[in-house]
Amino acid sequence: MPVKSSQNRSYKIQKVVYQIELPMVKHGTENLAARLGAFAEKYCRVIASDHVVSLTDNAMGQLAFQGHELLRELKLEVPEHRVMVHINTFHTPAHLHEILESCGGLGVRDLLIISGDGSVRLPKLRPADLGIGGEAVTSVELIAYIRKNFSGFFRLGAAFNQYEPPDHEHAKLIRKLEAGADFVITQPVIAPTAEIDELHRTLPVPLFLEAWMSPRIELLGECIGCQIASGSAFDPIEVLHRLETRYAGRSFYLALLNFAKQFELVVR
Amino acid sequence: MKIIVCIKQVPAAASVRIDPVTLQLIREGVGSVINPFDYHALEAALALRETAGGEVTVLTMGPPKAETALREALALGADRAVLLTDRAFAGSDTWATAYLLSLAVRKLGGADLLLCGKQAIDGDTAQVGPQLAARLGIVQATGVSELRFVDGATLEVRRMLDGGGDLLRLRLPALLGVERDLNRPRVPTLPGYLRAVDRPVTVWSAAELNPDPALIGLAGSPTRVVSSRPAELPKRDTVLVRGSSADGAAAILRCWKPRKETI
Repeated sequence: MPVKSSQNRSYKIQKVVYQIELPMVKHGTENLAARLGAFAEKYCRVIASDHVVSLTDNAMGQLAFQGHELLRELKLEVPEHRVMVHINTFHTPAHLHEILESCGGLGVRDLLIISGDGSVRLPKLRPADLGIGGEAVTSVELIAYIRKNFSGFFRLGAAFNQYEPPDHEHAKLIRKLEAGADFVITQPVIAPTAEIDELHRTLPVPLFLEAWMSPRIELLGECIGCQIASGSAFDPIEVLHRLETRYAGRSFYLALLNFAKQFELVVR
Repeated sequence: MKIIVCIKQVPAAASVRIDPVTLQLIREGVGSVINPFDYHALEAALALRETAGGEVTVLTMGPPKAETALREALALGADRAVLLTDRAFAGSDTWATAYLLSLAVRKLGGADLLLCGKQAIDGDTAQVGPQLAARLGIVQATGVSELRFVDGATLEVRRMLDGGGDLLRLRLPALLGVERDLNRPRVPTLPGYLRAVDRPVTVWSAAELNPDPALIGLAGSPTRVVSSRPAELPKRDTVLVRGSSADGAAAILRCWKPRKETI
């Protein structure tokens, strides 16, 4: 990975932890109290198990409550570096600052900065909102902006999409690292690849490998816009164990974990 | 200032499908959302209230499930919500709908300003707003992309037209149909939704509005849809071109089939 060797913002992972993505609470008043209660229950289970909670930001453009709102309203405990909040580029500048300041006030120190999917309902940050030139705001500009304005407070993560054309994605990753990314999270890895091997070997900052925990592997294809071969039944836990062996020492980001059937099996 | 915002619940655009046999919209299992243009109308109303004070009432006509849209509007900050719903209203076209909305506006005591999205994305007629203004006998402007108050009773609005625009001054009361360019609508928050859970929604049926039966529903609707068919969309494919930007540009040119009139 040809990045500057002056990366000094990296941190050591003390032990293997899972970052567990929680299903967020969608907008709406219907059964709101029950849905909030179910969210809080899952959150507390992850925190009690010493793993990290990951809270998405309107994933796939579907409107859901923001992580910081849920933490605040539900008065959830935020142990240091045990909650990661995603922030994408679909906000007004005022809302972006509200999220950042609220996260800071709550003790959230880890942010995953992504461009995001957006929707007709979500306002897109414009370069002028961040006081920069250029045509558009991507995760690169947003990482640089947060790094500049909240210097040293947050650890900032960037995404790496191994399903994109490699030259393009590597160039983008370098820009993200140069903008100030402290760690990198992949798209779901379902088998070892040369691409991931190289990242594992050469990335100068912590790498988190995303594991797809749904047995419905065809959904992954829909999410990433590529066809995923699904010849035999997909066993997410077996795949996770295989990846943990291959990429020893790496931490894993678990997407679509089934709390009823998989949680205890995975975190024990 | 008393502001009424008319909104409509429409099928979520991404999930709309058309039955190939009946050529009707398949509504079963399709989610509903507030018509996207209406968010801009509501945002304008909330912003005006924040600067000039007053009250924002949100008004819709539809089936009982349209209450969901009203609750979202309450979560965004509307003060009051009114749902017009009755089996007798079913089948109303834009003219009959505007009539029923006008009865509701009068029952609410009128308004200084009525705001609508410029059109609904399901019917795409852009008729209800102007027809409502006509029913109420007030001035109106469509395609509004900017607005400001000249004084407490006069609005100056810019309306977008093909190839240009108008700058209009309107005396209140007035109705505006607004464009997306007018503002960036806010997104509701969790505290907003929590406040909206127990807020009352006023429901008015035909019994409360007392409309002329000849002017509502199918009987009161002069519009007749003779036929409709889904648009024939060209087949699309994605081609990944590896190489330099020049290689990519060359590949695009090779794929490009110019229309005769562009040569």
